[in-house]
Amino acid sequence: MGKSFKILAIPYQVWLSLLVFIPLVAMVVISVTNLNSTVSLSELQFTMEHWVLLTQRPTLIAFRNSLMYAASTTIISFVLGYFLAYQIFRLRIKNKFIVLTIVILPMWSNLILRTEALLNIFSENNILKSIMGFSLFGNIAGTPAAVLIGLVFTYMPFMILPIYTALEKIDYALEEASLDLGLTPMQSFWKVVFPLSFRGVVTGSILVFLPTMAGFAIPKILSKGRIIFIGNIIDTKFIYTNYNSGALLAVILLIFILGSIMLMTRFDKEGETLL
Amino acid sequence: MKKVILLTFIAILGVTLAGCNTAPKLRILNWGEYINDEVVAQFEEATGYNVVIDVADSNELFYSKIKSKTTAYDIVIPSDYMVEKMVEEDMLLPLDYDLLPNRDNVTYMAGVDQIYASMTATTLARTGETVDFTEYAVPYFWGTFGIIYNNRVTGLEASLEANGWATYFDATTYFPTARRGMYDVAQFAYAAALTYLGENPNDYSASLLTQAEDVIRAANFEEWGDDTLKRNVESDNLDMAFVYTGDYLDRLYIQLDEGKTLAEVQAEFNIYIPETALVFLDNMVIPYTASNIEGAHQFINFLLDPDVVALNSEVVGYATGLEEAYDIIVSNVTSDDPWRQAWATANLTYYNKDRAGTYIPMTALDPDAIDAINTMIESVISGS
Amino acid sequence: MIDKTNSYPVATLQEYGYKDYSKITPVINVLKKVLFFSILFMLYLSIIVIAIQSINASRISSSFSTVSFTWYPNIFQEEDLMRAIRNTFLVSSIATILATFMGTFFAVGMYSLTKKKRQGLMLLNNVPILNADIVTGFSLMLMFRLLMPLFPNIFGLFTLVMAHLFFTIPYVILSVMPKLKETDPNLMDAALDLGVRPYKALIKVVIPAIKAGIFSGMLLALTMSIDDFVISYFNTGGGFDNLSIWIYAVIGRRNLTPSVYAFSTLLTLFTLIGLMVYQFLQRQKKGKKSEIK
Repeated sequence: MGKSFKILAIPYQVWLSLLVFIPLVAMVVISVTNLNSTVSLSELQFTMEHWVLLTQRPTLIAFRNSLMYAASTTIISFVLGYFLAYQIFRLRIKNKFIVLTIVILPMWSNLILRTEALLNIFSENNILKSIMGFSLFGNIAGTPAAVLIGLVFTYMPFMILPIYTALEKIDYALEEASLDLGLTPMQSFWKVVFPLSFRGVVTGSILVFLPTMAGFAIPKILSKGRIIFIGNIIDTKFIYTNYNSGALLAVILLIFILGSIMLMTRFDKEGETLL
Repeated sequence: MKKVILLTFIAILGVTLAGCNTAPKLRILNWGEYINDEVVAQFEEATGYNVVIDVADSNELFYSKIKSKTTAYDIVIPSDYMVEKMVEEDMLLPLDYDLLPNRDNVTYMAGVDQIYASMTATTLARTGETVDFTEYAVPYFWGTFGIIYNNRVTGLEASLEANGWATYFDATTYFPTARRGMYDVAQFAYAAALTYLGENPNDYSASLLTQAEDVIRAANFEEWGDDTLKRNVESDNLDMAFVYTGDYLDRLYIQLDEGKTLAEVQAEFNIYIPETALVFLDNMVIPYTASNIEGAHQFINFLLDPDVVALNSEVVGYATGLEEAYDIIVSNVTSDDPWRQAWATANLTYYNKDRAGTYIPMTALDPDAIDAINTMIESVISGS
Repeated sequence: MIDKTNSYPVATLQEYGYKDYSKITPVINVLKKVLFFSILFMLYLSIIVIAIQSINASRISSSFSTVSFTWYPNIFQEEDLMRAIRNTFLVSSIATILATFMGTFFAVGMYSLTKKKRQGLMLLNNVPILNADIVTGFSLMLMFRLLMPLFPNIFGLFTLVMAHLFFTIPYVILSVMPKLKETDPNLMDAALDLGVRPYKALIKVVIPAIKAGIFSGMLLALTMSIDDFVISYFNTGGGFDNLSIWIYAVIGRRNLTPSVYAFSTLLTLFTLIGLMVYQFLQRQKKGKKSEIK
């Protein structure tokens, strides 16, 4: 590709640097000073008073909840998602576009509508019960199970797509060769296919872990407000314009996120398996 | 293929841009579904303005949108405590009553006057300044908070009538297996708990905070939500919840639309309003960023017309602030139309003009107090 | 003479390690199919419930009374809903078209960079995708607030489109880059040798080669943009509330009209039909190609 096209990337470099770095700096500043809408720049003071938030029990419990649910969702999503991706892969659909659409079709409906629909059928008296006479899921609304199911099946498309992409890139000759050399299909899968698709697994896991950890709408709705995630606390802080504490929590979240991005880049330098 | 896609996008753009209107705009920031579309249509026809309504779901969001000046709203409809806060921070324009001739033909309900007086008193206590809030605000809808309950549970209604708040908060003595819910606004839970304890819900101190915390823990709430509370009680997924009385009437109107009678609905779920009731008042105010001040006044004037207010009440189940509008609604008690009759009876039952008992509105608390209350509720919910 | 009584035991296949799965295999196959369809069912469960709610005559979401399609035409009666839908389409169309163009050109530019620079930029590129919505929304709002003294009416369509561009361009770039890598580098050289100017060559040669990537990128950008809530929530103004913001505001304190379910179902159906039409057209094209041969 000609060197003359390099110039096309410059505006993007500027754009990203502006919109990624500057807000990050601003948030760090807000979290360690008393800057808010009533304080002018001359009265700016460095202070750690907002950090007391990190010692309060609800914050710690929220962090723990976020991490635990994110980890569980990622694991379950991985098991079920890999299975689905592999089965779809074996169907050898020629057009990747169809696979893409089937998997992301549910995302075209509003997230809140979808989550409320799940809450509906997780409750004891729900719309399916009035049609069928019995409740498909019993009465799990408000329980951790409901939140897990909601999270897993909302974010599974993000696990399926990278794994499918990675599987597509595997040269079939490798699999054939291993079978010829005497491995059973099972062994061939574990020793040849799975390791080669690992990049997709890492990408998919990160794509599921991060939104789950930072999200707040799905747990709030499906747990009937009983399970608090760190996103809920940030949301409350922002609503009541307590930006300092909110920014602090956001910065901590960002550390997690940036760490995960670094991890992902180690496995997949060019971001190829994201799509 | 490319042409097809391009044409589709252009078509979509064309349709959306066709919805654009060049008439002078009136920008309103309101709660969702809080106004009858017919009222808006009538106003647009009478004045030629193009009314654009943005929605938000909390007073705090109203505040941050006005404060940040991101949009020049002409009218906002915040609740009582938020009006207090906005006036304190000089965010509102005083109303020009010369442009509101309809004001002279109506009287505010006694409850509304009580609320304004209470707001003035709490502001005086907090800042030492006397503020007459009618200089800035005109009532839009108001109402009480009540305990919506599942009437399918035997004995619940009787217990509420006899014991009031206690049936709701004291889970060890009354109906320990009942499923209770509370609004997910921390201040509501705090105020309700204090009212149950017999304290002033607008007081804040560390000891009151602990007392409220004990009460809320003892209630063992299994759901913290907003509109899900009323829907769950309606569908027998919840037994008691602290909601706006208007929430109950909203569901009532829907049930009436589907053919049930008032009595049938009340047999399934009903609302209990305690004698010492928390109340709220939503007001029309003009923020300091307004660009169409004349249009804003015309709108407020339009909503001081009892007929318009009555029309608005057909869709919104909250109480009207004008006595004349109340009379119009209640006169339908003798109507032949079953819906209108039920509508009038409901207003008569739940928003009775001559109700005995005290009304206490909530006030704007200190940001630190709010933060502490939020943290307290988070503690209770997370079980820590 | 072969002594038949002194025969050595013949090794069986099992001793070589062959495991006879022929009895279990059918069962496993059935289980696999059951699991496959269960997962698909769960993925689609929520939109199935939404579809059921859209044909429910009753507005009470927990009980189904009779089948009724009145909510579909009713969509056009609900002024607020129509405005929210119009805003959503307007913002998402503009953002998607711009993102597709800009993303494609940025990707071409990035492909021409040195490896190190490219990887660094790809790292930054991932941030909008992986960052928490609430953090992105808040930081963008901060940036726009800084610009407000210069441009007082900035909040509205402009900020909303900018915000959407911020998180959709990365998806386009991620779709296009792999395809760029797959294209034959000789194509470009051949075009240049034949005397075509570089930018014309880009448009006439490279772009058609990466068409599939551009298309996937556009689809992904549109999907992400249409359903966005948190980022739009922080960056909207002046009456441009999109559908997600409207739903969130209404579902909180008031009664949601079932027409929203009807609209949602319609959108899903249209996308599905659009896909099938696209597939049909692709087949037709392929059919024509094989006819020429």
